[in-house]
Amino acid sequence: MHKNNIILYLCNWGPHVAFQDLLDKCADIPHEIKMIRIPCTGRISKTLLFKAFEIGADGVALVGCVAGTCRYGSGTNVAEKNVEDTRNILDLLGIGKERLELATFLPDDSNELLEFLKRFSQNIQKIGKSPIVHQKIDFEKRLISREKIGSILKKHNIYVCQDCGKCSSGCSLALSGKTFSPRSVANSLIAGDIYSENVFKDIWSCLTCGKCYDICPMAVNFPEFIRDIRELFRTHGMSPRETHGGFFQSLMRTMISPDIKPLHWQYLPEGIRLNKESKTLFFGGCSPYFDTFFRNHLTVSTFDIMVDSLKVLNFFDIEPAILENERCCGHDLLWSGDLNSFLELAKLNSNIINSKGFDTIVTSCPECLKTLLYDYPKYGIKLNPKVVHIYDLLESEIDKGAVSFKKFDKKMLFKEACRLDLGENEQSKKLVERFKKIQDISVIPNECCGNSSWVGCDAFSKALQTKQLKQARNMGFDLIVTSCPKCQIHLKCAMEDVFIGKELEIEMMDLTSVIAKTIFWT
Amino acid sequence: MNNLKKEIIITGFGGQGIILAGKIVGMASALYDNKESTFVQSYGPESRGGFCSAQVVISDKTIDYPYIKKPDILVCMSQGGYDKFIYNLKEDGTLIIDSDLVKSNIQREEYFSIPATRIAEEMGRKMMANIIMVGFVTSVTHVVSLEAAKKTVLESVPKGTEKLNTEAFIKGYDYGMATLKSREKKASGNIGA
Ligand code: SF4
Ligand code: SF4
Repeated sequence: MHKNNIILYLCNWGPHVAFQDLLDKCADIPHEIKMIRIPCTGRISKTLLFKAFEIGADGVALVGCVAGTCRYGSGTNVAEKNVEDTRNILDLLGIGKERLELATFLPDDSNELLEFLKRFSQNIQKIGKSPIVHQKIDFEKRLISREKIGSILKKHNIYVCQDCGKCSSGCSLALSGKTFSPRSVANSLIAGDIYSENVFKDIWSCLTCGKCYDICPMAVNFPEFIRDIRELFRTHGMSPRETHGGFFQSLMRTMISPDIKPLHWQYLPEGIRLNKESKTLFFGGCSPYFDTFFRNHLTVSTFDIMVDSLKVLNFFDIEPAILENERCCGHDLLWSGDLNSFLELAKLNSNIINSKGFDTIVTSCPECLKTLLYDYPKYGIKLNPKVVHIYDLLESEIDKGAVSFKKFDKKMLFKEACRLDLGENEQSKKLVERFKKIQDISVIPNECCGNSSWVGCDAFSKALQTKQLKQARNMGFDLIVTSCPKCQIHLKCAMEDVFIGKELEIEMMDLTSVIAKTIFWT
Repeated sequence: MNNLKKEIIITGFGGQGIILAGKIVGMASALYDNKESTFVQSYGPESRGGFCSAQVVISDKTIDYPYIKKPDILVCMSQGGYDKFIYNLKEDGTLIIDSDLVKSNIQREEYFSIPATRIAEEMGRKMMANIIMVGFVTSVTHVVSLEAAKKTVLESVPKGTEKLNTEAFIKGYDYGMATLKSREKKASGNIGA
């Protein structure tokens, strides 16, 4: 038995002829290589490349036709981009970009192909086994019982619903035009309608934005209810259609492997002051992966938010520590129903963080905040340090005096994040109020950016985003200020529309970045 | 060894708690900083709502004379007090003003200002402006130590208001620290993030 697993995605056309030739000659192709025949390298998405690693590959070779000889024209070019991005993700994840290679051959190149396969296999031998542990999912075979649904209904007190209809009239999705009503989803489940297609669709299309919860007079927490139902569905094999083929869920699951050492902080620019001894931990989030994944597409730069956060902390001479091998907080796993993986990741994170003796965790990501502050304790995961959002910390520093903001020459629209409710957060609210006194900025409360936790994006998500962007432009704003990196990603996606994209374009910047650009000592 | 003697005048109008502020500074250094101090209070002719001042001397040695002609530190919480004492302040002395109540009309590079009354109002009690000022003086001048001043504030304010007054003191102190940091940043030419 060979130790390593190497996947060879092999294009049907040019290189397959070469490969066939090797087989006919009984050439000594390294045994650990498992070949998968594919129609074209251009069809192997980043997700397919990455999933191979998630389920146990130590190396992946994507082998296609020499550029210019692609049967479909652009396959090789697409493959180049996909491979480069995925290699960069592997690099951020700390498992080494060399584990993935793209190579191209002509039909006659059988010797060259053999040489390549041998060399690649030796390389993988040298790097060793991948530290990723495959998280196997065992689906529950039995049907979902009404009791199970009943206990979730009870847990979230769904029976107090008065059928007033407020939630449906304020629901972000319903307002985008979709035939969708939180109340009727709950009613269907109460009636025992568990396996209908509509219920399935609705469970996975709710944006979990919490708008309904905000307005419900009986305080029915619909998004959390949905979260539990999703978990139940997923464990019974009723998984959602994840966006981007489930790339991000895969990525997060790989982070459960105890031996991987993500290195996504490695590209921090010079001049940022950090202190290993600090009692304050800055928890960054997954921005570097987002930026890499969407590089060719949206050109978002959400890593700037992390950098600007550190700059503003440094401005106040706060030199925080960072976790060199920081992992994802697990937000998207939790909200897309993968509770087991979430718990594994959360335990790993809390063990690492608690072992270091921090007293405070600061984060600028609303999802990390909500997850670390509320959801970890909710699931019995204890974090010793207190968790605060960077706005809280900034407000208390700014309140000490001697700092002010330069006027930023933009008409700004501040979009509250669903995971950071200013109404619940006194300090953040004060900061925004303070900012308003100097800047031309209006606040729009919790308006969903159209997607959450990488599930269920559809035409209605797009409609929602389009409407928001058009409104912002029509009202004469020239900068949308966000506080969540996801808002930037999702809204930017709408601006990429080939037909109406131009009409939607508007600049976006995170509030922390605007603060970093304008704050000064008086 | 040099005798580190500091002469401080705090001035304002009656009702601002000027006298209490002076008393706290003097007591703090005598009781908890192991120094000698004297304290003299004076009211102007119209003591109710009119001009008043407190004179505090702090020294490592015995103090022979408690009155001050040329203060090292002048704290002004009213324009009247400022106008009266500004020309007495030593050449290299430290001027501290309530920025909303006093307009400094002479060119002085070295002066500190804090909107103490406004901050007190924002905290819900205008009366606490003096305690905020004590906090500010503590951080920008170091004539008394933080611990000594904090303790004395606690002991000097009316029962039941300790928590609020401590908060006020810390506010003033933090404002001072922020002001010093801002100067440091400016000196290094690095005022942005
Ligand atoms: S969480 Fe948002 S999308 Fe889901 S039902 Fe409530 S308002 Fe609608
Ligand atoms: S708003 Fe609340 S009470 Fe009203 S229908 Fe919706 S869940 Fe029921």
